[in-house]
Parts: sequence; structure tokens; C-alpha cells
Amino acid sequence: MVRRLPVYLLLDTSGSMKGEPIESVKVGLEAMVSSLRKDPFALESVHLSIITFDREVKDILPLTELENLTLPDIITPESGPTHLGMALELLYERCNKEFIRGSSTQKGDWKPLLFIMTDGKPSDMAKYQEFIPKIQSLGFGSIVACAAGPKSNSESLKLLTENVVHLDTTDSSTFSHFFKWVSASVSIGNRSQGSGDNNELPPPPPDVHPVI
Amino acid sequence: MAKTITLVGISGNTIEFVDNGDPMQGGMKDVYFSPDKSYVVAFFRDYDFNKNRQEYNNLKDRMLEIVTTKKDGVFKQEGGAYWTDLLCWPYDLVEHNGKLGIAVPAYQKHFFFSVGSKNNDFLGIKGKEKNGKWFASPFHFNKNLDAHEKGDWYKYIIVCLHIARATRRLHSAGLAHSDLSYNNVLVDPTSGKAAVIDLDGLVVPGKFPPDVMGTPDFIAPEVLATKHLAKTDSNRKHPSIQTDRHALAVMIYMYLLHRHPLRGGKIHDLDPVKDEELSMGSKSVFIEHSTDKSNRPKMADVKPSHLTPTPWPDVSKLPYSLCGPYLQGLFNQAFIDGLHNPALRPSAGDWEHALVKTIDLIQPCQNKSCELKWYVFDNNTKPKCPFCGTSYKGQLPVLNFYVKTPAGKFSYENHRLMVYSGQNIYQWHVNKNILPNERLAPETKKPVADFHFHNNKWILINRKLNSLLDVSDSNKEIPIGSSIEITDGKQILLSKEDGGRLIIVQLVNNQ
Repeated sequence: MVRRLPVYLLLDTSGSMKGEPIESVKVGLEAMVSSLRKDPFALESVHLSIITFDREVKDILPLTELENLTLPDIITPESGPTHLGMALELLYERCNKEFIRGSSTQKGDWKPLLFIMTDGKPSDMAKYQEFIPKIQSLGFGSIVACAAGPKSNSESLKLLTENVVHLDTTDSSTFSHFFKWVSASVSIGNRSQGSGDNNELPPPPPDVHPVI
Repeated sequence: MAKTITLVGISGNTIEFVDNGDPMQGGMKDVYFSPDKSYVVAFFRDYDFNKNRQEYNNLKDRMLEIVTTKKDGVFKQEGGAYWTDLLCWPYDLVEHNGKLGIAVPAYQKHFFFSVGSKNNDFLGIKGKEKNGKWFASPFHFNKNLDAHEKGDWYKYIIVCLHIARATRRLHSAGLAHSDLSYNNVLVDPTSGKAAVIDLDGLVVPGKFPPDVMGTPDFIAPEVLATKHLAKTDSNRKHPSIQTDRHALAVMIYMYLLHRHPLRGGKIHDLDPVKDEELSMGSKSVFIEHSTDKSNRPKMADVKPSHLTPTPWPDVSKLPYSLCGPYLQGLFNQAFIDGLHNPALRPSAGDWEHALVKTIDLIQPCQNKSCELKWYVFDNNTKPKCPFCGTSYKGQLPVLNFYVKTPAGKFSYENHRLMVYSGQNIYQWHVNKNILPNERLAPETKKPVADFHFHNNKWILINRKLNSLLDVSDSNKEIPIGSSIEITDGKQILLSKEDGGRLIIVQLVNNQ
């Protein structure tokens, strides 16, 4: 009777993320999972999936309920391209399989959420553009793309979603704020609702800038 | 990096908070602790004097009223001090960098988990606030919470009584809370305590209503059904005392039965957002509706872990009738008659009264390892614990209360007291003119007589009653300090004073 809230994270693990950036992402992820597990609403509904992308695309965490979730290790290669297009392809395939759509006899999932974090730009632009409309057709509740660090490219992310945020740096404090915001965005459904039009996402923290 | 900011409140007193750059974030407010953590200062995030002066001033106007006249109206009355623990009321107003803040007492210690979740707190919630959701969901109740945090069924009745009483007080002052939910009511099922928080959303008559619709699960159907209309549209329904009554009924149902009264198997739309809106709003149906069975929960959809050890989601195994006749009647009124007809919803006072009477029907389960430990006597000749299935063995005295009519005859009140060893009689049982509420003096809250099963007999020991009479034995007086045996058909007058009650004993025998 409790609907699932699927949350997909697509994380850039290309060579440039090696070192402090990816370590900060891991710490941020752990903090996010721990904080969601302390939230009785999230614990009951949130299911998390993580896909990493560099030269290869890896399905490192299949859609798993929070209570049974253990974060896998994330490994980055020395160098290599950023295959975000391939990641979207895998995501598309996975979502089509995994979503429980409402039917006349069964309550379906809440609209899933998608968070993408990259510190560069897609190396496989053609595939990326091919999958944008397909991903958009899946009916995500929101798609948030995060351009992290000075070399990231907000323009290409803008093609996928209007919710693009920019992180000035890829250090631990910035990622910690970013994942805190992601977890707040995931929990927002159970807060008091305003009488005006509902803002889907909470305002990002100061070092996470919306790209307009 | 953290610095202490010192301000002067509207009261003229000094208000301080520690700005660590990382406030706790509520739905509408950013919250900072005072240096000694005895209070918090909560700033309204979306109101800025420099951006929208009119909105800001409307808010300030409403808050001013809440921290001054409305607060005094509740706390400066007779028995006002009683509310300190039940209503976490903002008491001062500050302004800082174009934002408006309120000073609110910090929550009491028992509203934070002391043990937390199972298996040595595998979730890491020890020290966190006891959000009511932990206690209202079958998943958390059965699977996540440590046994030390759960309390027994009696304690949930007391928790609900405190919530109903606090809500009744607000409503009797003409104020609506507007956002009653498990986020805004702290509960401690280990002690039965509860406190209503976030009182800054109070709807003050004649002032601008707050900017909230409520919290999912608790928003009244008519508010959801009209939310597409403009705020100024006269058909748009805003939070009010009547919508609080809906939220209160939902909360009581959830704390006693650990499931939501409207979340069943009926599907209204394939889109989850629309389905949610309809199933809580215009198309909502009580899951235990006696004739419209369309929204019964589908057991096939329930995870097995939500059903053990106690099958809360299964309405056929644990129907709401287990809450006893008084609460069952009010649930019918709230979720059948009044669901789409707000005027018919029971008032907070109705709930308070029914909960007090239900306490008298409660008895301990004889199974020492029963998780819930207490249950309501269902007026059955073969009583049985609905939670663990253990039947009552032995003699069970039931006291039926009668009260004198103006014509001088005793008439039945539809009020019973179930006897168990150690059960007490209080002043509010003795005299119908005494009601258990905040106005009772501490002395009047003490037990006046008690029951024991002694040498295979049920006895009543008189501790403080100066005119206790055995009516069945030619009005023989039972002096203070002596006892009387309780037998089937025995008639005892508790007080000769005006309003004094007569009890007639009914002995249920189960061997």
C-alpha cells in the first residue's frame, strides 16, 4: 500500500573525478543515505539506484529499498571519456523494466526522481541527444543535473532538464551540501504544503547555484 | 565560525541564538538554538521585509497576536500552567536581517529517542526527535523501533487524549492549528506524553490565514478538492477548526491502529499524483466503511514485514471496533458521516470525552508477553485480547454507572468501568459533575478507592470516600480504610452528594 519512490543517481566517474572529488562524492552519498534512513517517511518509500559512467557504464546499485541498502564502492579509472549518453541508455532500459506503473488493480510508484552529477560534458553527444527525449518521456517527477567544478558544462545539461545547478568546486564541503540538498529534495513530499503552487524542489544551499 | 547573535524581542527581553550557518530546516522556517539550548529561534524563510513588505507585515501582525494576546488568553486563565507541557507556544518575536523570527521553548527530553531503533539502533536515530510517523506506520512499529520506544496500547490512548485536549483548548479559544500532523505533534509513547508544536501556523480569526494547506495524510478532503482554485476564490477551502478535526481524527486512528484510515486498495487514477489527490480528497472513502467496501486494503499489496508480529494493515484481523464503542462511534462520524461533510465531524472535546471513557474499558492482557499489554473490553461475555488472541480467564467485574435524574431515579449512563487488580476509582467516577481536565486541582487527581483480587475474591478498598454506601446491604456505610467484596448484582453508591454515582456490578465468568 505504500508507494515506492524510486530515486536514480547518475554519477560521473571519469578520470577527472579521481582523488578528492570522488572521495567527497562517496562521503556525501553515505551521509545522504544515513540521513534518509533517519527520516521515517523516506525509509518507508525511497528506493535508490546508482549508475556510474566514464568510459564504461556500470549499474553499481540496482534499485534497492533503503532498509536493505549497502553502498557499493565507486572506482574511477585514470583517464577516459564521459559517456553520459550511454548512461542514459542504460537508465532508460532499467526504468522501463523497473517502474511499477499504476494500473486498475495496483497502485504504482511515485514519480521517480533523477539526479545527474558530472564534472565535464558528454563525450558521446550523439547518443546523449538521442536519449534525451526518451528519458523525458519516462515521466520523472523531477530531473536535476549538477554541473560540478569549473570544467563542467551546464549548456549540455540544459538540453535534458531545466533544473541545472552548478557547483563551483568539487571539494568535500560543496559535495556535502549538494547531497544534503538532494536528500532534502527527496524528503520534501512529507512536509507541510504551501497553499500556493508547490515548489517541487527546496532552495539549493549557497554553494549550489541554480543555472538560469 | 558559529557566532552568537543577540537581539531584543518585542517583549523587551533579550533573545539570543547561535548562528552556525547551518540551521535545522523545517517546512517553512530555519531554526537556531539559543546558547543554553533552552529555546530556539525560528526564522520564516520565505518572508523578507526588503522583498515584500506587505506580506511581511501581515505575518508580523499575525505572529504578534499569537505571542501576546492569544498566548495570554490560554496561559493566564485558571489552570493555564497545565498547557505549558501540551502546547509549545512561541513567546517572543524578533527581527534580524529583514527576517521575522519567533522564540519557542525547546522540546522536552522525553521527545527524543533514548534507545531508537532495533539491533543497537541500526538506523542511528537515538537522540533524534520522536516524529510521530515512527509510531503511526506498521512498518516502523513492527520492524524498526526498539521495544523500549514503543510503549503499550494504554499509552497510545493517553497520547491521543493529550493531543485531543490540547486541540480542544486551541479550538475553544477560536484558534485553528491548521497543520496538525505527525510532524507537528511530538509524542512519547513510553510515558503517554504529547505536545503540539508549530503553533505559529495558528489561524487567528480576522487575520490573514497562514500559507499552508497542511501535511499529506492529514489535509482535509475539501482542502485538497479545492486547491486548484485561487486563494481568493470564495469556494476555496482553507485550514480551519473543521479541517483540524479531520486531522485529529486521522491522527488518533493512526496512533491506535498504526495505519491510515483512507489509504486502501481503491484506485482512482493511473497517475500517482492525481490518484493521491483523489484518494485523500474528493473521492476519499474510509477503508473500514461498513457498506462501501471499495477501499478495503488489499493484503496482497502489503509486505509481510509490515504484518508481523502484529497485523496492523489487516482490517479483518484488527478492525477499528477494537478501540471500543465510544471511539468506534466517533470514527464513523469522522470518516463516514463527516468525511465530506465537515460540519458533522466530531469536535476535539468529543474525542477527549470518548478517550477518557475508553480508558475505563481498558484491561491488562493476561499474556505477560503480549506486546500491546492492554486492550478494550468489547462487552463480550468471552473477552479476548485482539492483539495476541489470549482469552480472559477468571472473574471479570464490570461496573455499570448510573446517575440520578432530576426525577430522583437512577438511570444508566452508557459508561462502564472494567475492574482489574490495582484499578482505581477517581473523583470523576464518583461524581458526574467532576470532569477530568486541566481545571482539576492536584488533590482531586488522586485515586479515592481501589480494586484488588484478594483470597479469590474481588474487593474494593475505600481510601478517601466519606459516603460510600452498600446499597444492596441496606445502605450500610463502608468507612475509609475498610473494604467491600464485589459480587454479581452488588449495588454501591459512591457518594451521597449531588451528582454522586451508583454502580451496579456485573460479573463475567470465564474459566
